[in-house]
Amino acid sequence: MYNNVLAAINEFTNSEVAAAFAVTFSRVCGARLILYYADEGKGKDAASHAEAALERLFAHAVYEGVEVERIVEKGSPFDKIPRQVSANSIDIMFMATRHEDASRRFFTRTLPRELMLSLPCSVVLARIVKFGMPAPHHILAPIRGFLSDVDKRAFFLAALTRGFGSKLTLFHMQEPLISFFHGEISLAPAQREERLPQDVRTYIRAVEAQGVTPFVRTAHGAGRWSVVTESALHRNDLIIMGASQRGLLREIVSGNPVEQTLRDTICNMFVFRP
Amino acid sequence: MKIHALTADEALRALISSREGLPEKEALRRLAEYGPNEIRKVRGKPLYLRFVAQFTHFLAVLLWVAAAFCFLAEYFRPGEGMASLGLAIIAVIVLNAVFTFVQEYRAEKAVEALRKLLPYNVKVRRNGVRREVPSSEVAPGDIILLAEGDKVPSDARLIKSNGLMVNNAPLTGESDAKARVAEPAEGEFMDSPNIVFAGTLVVRGGGDAVVFATGMSTEFGRIAQLTGTVNPGLSPLQREIIKVTRIIAVISGCVGIFFFGLGLAAGMGFWHTFLFMIGIIIANVPEGLLPTLTLALAMGSQMMARKKALIKTLSAVETLGSVTVICTDKTGTLTENSMELKRVWTPDSGNAAQGKGRRMLMVAAVLANDAVCEGGRFSGDPTEVALLRAGLREAQIKSRRLFEVPFDADRKRMTVVCEFKGSVYAFMKGAPETVMAVCSRTSVSDALVPFDARLRSEAAKAGERMMDEGLRVLSFAYRELGSDWQRGSVSGESLEKEMVFSGIAGLEDPLRDGVPEAVGKCRNAGIRVIMITGDAARTASSVAKLAGFSVSAPVQGSEVEKMTDAELRDRLAQGAVIFARMTPRHKMRVVSVLKDEGERVAVTGDGVNDAPALKKADVGIAMGVVGTDVAREAADVVLLDDNFATIVSAVEEGRAIFDNIKKFVTYILAHLTPEAVPYVMFALFKIPLPLTVMQILAIDLGTETLPALALGVERPESGIMKRPPRQRGGLIDSAVLFRGYISMGIISAVGVLTAYFYVLYGGGWRWGVTLSANNPLARQAATATFLGIVIMQVATVLACRSSVVSVFRMGLFSNRLVLAGIVLELLLAAFIVYHPFGNRIFGSAPIGMDVWLLMVPFAVVLLSVEEARKYLARKTGA
Repeated sequence: MYNNVLAAINEFTNSEVAAAFAVTFSRVCGARLILYYADEGKGKDAASHAEAALERLFAHAVYEGVEVERIVEKGSPFDKIPRQVSANSIDIMFMATRHEDASRRFFTRTLPRELMLSLPCSVVLARIVKFGMPAPHHILAPIRGFLSDVDKRAFFLAALTRGFGSKLTLFHMQEPLISFFHGEISLAPAQREERLPQDVRTYIRAVEAQGVTPFVRTAHGAGRWSVVTESALHRNDLIIMGASQRGLLREIVSGNPVEQTLRDTICNMFVFRP
Repeated sequence: MKIHALTADEALRALISSREGLPEKEALRRLAEYGPNEIRKVRGKPLYLRFVAQFTHFLAVLLWVAAAFCFLAEYFRPGEGMASLGLAIIAVIVLNAVFTFVQEYRAEKAVEALRKLLPYNVKVRRNGVRREVPSSEVAPGDIILLAEGDKVPSDARLIKSNGLMVNNAPLTGESDAKARVAEPAEGEFMDSPNIVFAGTLVVRGGGDAVVFATGMSTEFGRIAQLTGTVNPGLSPLQREIIKVTRIIAVISGCVGIFFFGLGLAAGMGFWHTFLFMIGIIIANVPEGLLPTLTLALAMGSQMMARKKALIKTLSAVETLGSVTVICTDKTGTLTENSMELKRVWTPDSGNAAQGKGRRMLMVAAVLANDAVCEGGRFSGDPTEVALLRAGLREAQIKSRRLFEVPFDADRKRMTVVCEFKGSVYAFMKGAPETVMAVCSRTSVSDALVPFDARLRSEAAKAGERMMDEGLRVLSFAYRELGSDWQRGSVSGESLEKEMVFSGIAGLEDPLRDGVPEAVGKCRNAGIRVIMITGDAARTASSVAKLAGFSVSAPVQGSEVEKMTDAELRDRLAQGAVIFARMTPRHKMRVVSVLKDEGERVAVTGDGVNDAPALKKADVGIAMGVVGTDVAREAADVVLLDDNFATIVSAVEEGRAIFDNIKKFVTYILAHLTPEAVPYVMFALFKIPLPLTVMQILAIDLGTETLPALALGVERPESGIMKRPPRQRGGLIDSAVLFRGYISMGIISAVGVLTAYFYVLYGGGWRWGVTLSANNPLARQAATATFLGIVIMQVATVLACRSSVVSVFRMGLFSNRLVLAGIVLELLLAAFIVYHPFGNRIFGSAPIGMDVWLLMVPFAVVLLSVEEARKYLARKTGA
């Protein structure tokens, strides 16, 4: 499914950590990996940091047995990355976002947002908040109904889970039942599992078909803290969410749960756009 | 990659750092990249939105609608005082909103208390230069320099250790210091000996560590995150109140619409009928319910405080009464946490009292001990105090400590080197298995013999027997080093070998007074008590047995760690009640799983790491004596004596308070019918206004309130702890509605209308004659209606004191507050009826004593009907 992987590097360490995930992903998929740095002319210091990172990642990829290539070119990543994606038939691209990007509402005018919206391949946006522990022990993947590209999502999730030998929990949040006289009615886990939407069940089966047996957890709630609190409670060290683009009005009124989780997460997080 | 499994140099490489530390510029870059190293305030709902929420819950909305109707009515029919009623309703909403809002600060306070546990400044090495920076400026990859007394600023991997020991109590709840080393380690990250965590304290030694997580990404941040965001949801009482208000809203709406249709059919005209509908709806709104409920809970919290349970969240008063599971600690809660030496076993069993083995055991108990005795006062760890006290009772031991290998939780033993009787000895104290492992000899009949397999087996069995009795077991050993012993470069390994095994001591932590009775009460009350302790399974089981638990096989913390939620749920469903070797991080999972199953959970806690579980539980109970500030801030209840029996007393009180709330809800419902029926008569049959708006207010917010509050402090009925926890939805059911609206309501309405017409006809009024609101006769008639309702309230409050027990059996004087409430209610009524000022404000007029006497038979009928109903209820067991 994924034969060509591109990992974008810059002078920041979180891009190196994100690219380290790309190395593992490439190994599991048997894919070719391109480590790419677009030198925007930020100065010698930035360039030397990025090139040192490329060096380390290249060595790591070789050690992992991954077919790897380094590309460094001058120019704006806004222009250069789409060209590289097209020229190298890239199937999936890994890039990192920073503390500063996450503080902007809707990530406006940031590279990750622009690329996520425009690239023709799958995109993984990594938010690295924990530097020293890139190998996830327990992955949390929140899921919702109305999933598209089920096979791609399941493959991606399973590949990372297998690649790191991690545990995987699929987490489905449900709205509680509302009764006029009783207010919210909380259901027991078994009752909630019975109410899993059909496409969520399909997704679970698709993950299992990839050779990974996930734990399935359900909970009531859809508030901004639900996913972050769940990851804190169960000591998850990587959250993988699907990208979502809501209507502008809906985003302004109730926010975007992915964006909110990305901002508040206390463990590393990927946003995956198939 | 697991950071703790890497060597120090590999860890540095992984973090792109070096022993010289990060260059200053790189540290700043990383700070910008990962954010400051601080516990951020969890961005919850903004304060103003939370304040607004107090005005938008269902009961508030109901009251807003009622107030709006009042102003609408005032607009169409000015001068009837509807605007006053509207304003009074708004005042009720505002007062309640402010009162409730003030209660809602505990999350912020708990997180604030957590923030205080991190250091302000920290020593780092950057570019090879040692410097001090604010803790918030520490970045991943920084090298932090730790020394005794320092607080650790972030999660870090040790790269150098000089006998570093840390106290991880804020994270794990274990107060024993733990040795930390720089070597790689396998196993669980949280238990890894080469990791130091933010918020913990260096108690000995020093070392260098490379930071791998900062701010909210640390373990400490995880606790802060959970503490700030876990939400126990609505309390059972809040849910009940939602149901009550919605039922009342539906009833009011339906009655209003019914009479609207009736009015239109009778040709009353649209606006007249519409105002009539509004009047009916307003008459059905229990304006006094919210303040009465709040005051009753406040009084309940006062009563609980007298029983040493300090209530921090008002709704916890009632929630305690609804709990189905109590998760409790053992040490200090079920037991006194005051150890006493109970048994001593030595291999020299034939001569235990005087043998050398025993003598040396007591010497080791006194010398391998950090407790202090000054002027006959002992201070220190309770176990060590017990050993010191017992040892000093047997002999005065003089000695000087030369060296020590301190206790740590991994080795589970300590060794000291002391001058003793002209020579130098090493004395050891610790867990039996760790002490026996370094012993080669023992003393039998004052002679040293090999500590062979038989003697080891006997010692192990003796220890198990003591554990089965619920004793905490420690072993002791010694070795004579000789008077020429020099400290030199001595190490723990060289000292702790070839020891002479002295024996085993069993210490008892006695159960607190009243604990078995309290556990028995819980059993009878259908409340499951679950013990969650850090102690060994055997000790936990035997204490549970002594406390009267229905003992099941203990579940170990290590098992919980490996279980999925479903497996843990199954173990709990199978009746697991003892969780041994648990850490606070397991407690949160147990609470979450129980809550997920619909249980209402109370949980005790004292440590920083208990805060999330305390927040998650329906009722978080912090220990007031030994608890940390964080736990106290996160809890709903603080126990002033840390005693389990106090929790059970509070549960009993909570159940009584719920019963009492049910009583005064019935009482409040009972006068809505006599308020509404005269108004219906007024609108349909064009009789003079039977009750002014101000009189409705005087009833709802005046005369009704004091007796209702008095019902709120009614003593618990017998057998309150012999019935199972209440089901959801128990506050209001068809029986309560029938009793309130129909049975007592209609009798009251008949009595009230009788008084009204008695005064009207007595004054010469004839059917069909209209009287203005200011007509003296109309005022007298309205006053009779008001007085009738008040007198029927007296009978109702007596009837509502119990739903099944006869008021005469309870004793008319057994709740003096009810009597005081009745007296004040009647005084207030007399003021309104007879005082010119009262007349002016409430539109009333004086009436004769004959009206008072006229109401008495109706009050007697109401009481008699209720007594008959209670008799039938007792007979049928309904």
